[in-house]
Amino acid sequence: MTSPEALNAAILMAHDDEDTATLVNLYAQAADQAEESGDIDAACFFLTQAYVFALDSGHSMAPYLHQRLLSHGREE
Amino acid sequence: MTLHQLDLSEVTKPVADARGLPNEFYTSPEIFELEKQKVFFPGWAAIGFTSDVPTNGYAKPMTFLGQPLLLVRDHQGDVRVFQNVCRHRGMILVEEAGPIKKAIRCPYHSWCYELDGRLRTTPHVGGPGTNRHDLIKREELGLLEVRSHIWMGMVFVNLDGKADPFEVHNAEILERYKEFTADLFVCGPESHLTIEVNANWKLAIENGAEAYHLPWVHPGLNSYSRLEDHYSMECPGKFSGQGSTVYSPMLSDDGRQFPDFAGLSEKWDTGSEYPMYFPNAMIGFHRNQFWGFIVEPVSHDRSVEHVQIFYADPSVSGEDWREMRQTNAENWREIFAEDIFVVEGMQKGRSASMFDGGKFSPAMDGPTHCFHEFIARSIQS
Repeated sequence: MTSPEALNAAILMAHDDEDTATLVNLYAQAADQAEESGDIDAACFFLTQAYVFALDSGHSMAPYLHQRLLSHGREE
Repeated sequence: MTLHQLDLSEVTKPVADARGLPNEFYTSPEIFELEKQKVFFPGWAAIGFTSDVPTNGYAKPMTFLGQPLLLVRDHQGDVRVFQNVCRHRGMILVEEAGPIKKAIRCPYHSWCYELDGRLRTTPHVGGPGTNRHDLIKREELGLLEVRSHIWMGMVFVNLDGKADPFEVHNAEILERYKEFTADLFVCGPESHLTIEVNANWKLAIENGAEAYHLPWVHPGLNSYSRLEDHYSMECPGKFSGQGSTVYSPMLSDDGRQFPDFAGLSEKWDTGSEYPMYFPNAMIGFHRNQFWGFIVEPVSHDRSVEHVQIFYADPSVSGEDWREMRQTNAENWREIFAEDIFVVEGMQKGRSASMFDGGKFSPAMDGPTHCFHEFIARSIQS
């Protein structure tokens, strides 16, 4: 598992590079880690970030991320 | 000088007795602002071409009369026009033309919109990680769509949303050119021209409306399209312009002509017409090519002319037509360029304090007077 610090650094780098495909993957990883630790609010925050960048870039994970947010009652 | 101090009664007299629009209609920022409200917003103004959004999912931001607009071809191929602002904080959504992969994302708080305008998601709007809120009703917060209509490859908008439908508002010009129903094709990058002029937008329309200037400003036309081969068109309040009875399509070195539009009557074998669509477009109808010439008003003394040439068959985009396409575009560019000095010269002339709007030729200036009368009546409405 990537450490939270390393994941955060990678996310910042992807933001700097405007690399939306990488942002989707990294935020999804962060969401998985938060969900595994039982922090649903944090997981949904990261899922939201991943979902928005997936919509922005036409990433194939968008429907999956939307479904996960829906399952937590955080989306329409 | 305020509008109340301007006497427009001379403008709306019959052409034989009329005077042209007062200088202030060309030199006053206040009149320019008034024209936005009285001429452009209530009508159907031309803002661009469908070819400006060449592929599905393409979006082009534009500013028209100060309005930030977004021209979009959605994923189904429908061309739409939106106000280019987020419904949340009014942030400009799209700054550069290009393809939109899936959603239009506001760069501020990342509200995302579908290309048909629907609000797709509102991240964190209900608090961190919660993208919904009972008081944020997505179905009420889609992009603000501007009424638009596509005709002959051009995009028209009704900015105040109150005009009659395009087909009703423009019934006369649609009837006159009802034969032109065939598909139009953009062929080659040279078929798009952009010309900046230091002149009020109306002067470009006025110049295009009449054939009177052709022998002097376009002497190259004298050999095959003489002044006596032209006629005037006037449809009060809607369009005016000129036509020619001797259009002779250009030939390539090996004797080829561009393919003709299907379904045209004999009139168009040698005919061409150039109506000025009120308020801001000139249109060139020919049997084998069509062009739109949209005048974008930038300020009271600056305009940008956008020209797009269309052909009747997509094969014209091929390499075997390239040289002839380039020659054709260059011929039109030369004609339009020849008009710049008169349009800009008339703009400078409007600073002459004793100029009274000008005396029209009753025989030759009917189309120009028709346009002036349209402007005057619109302002008075």
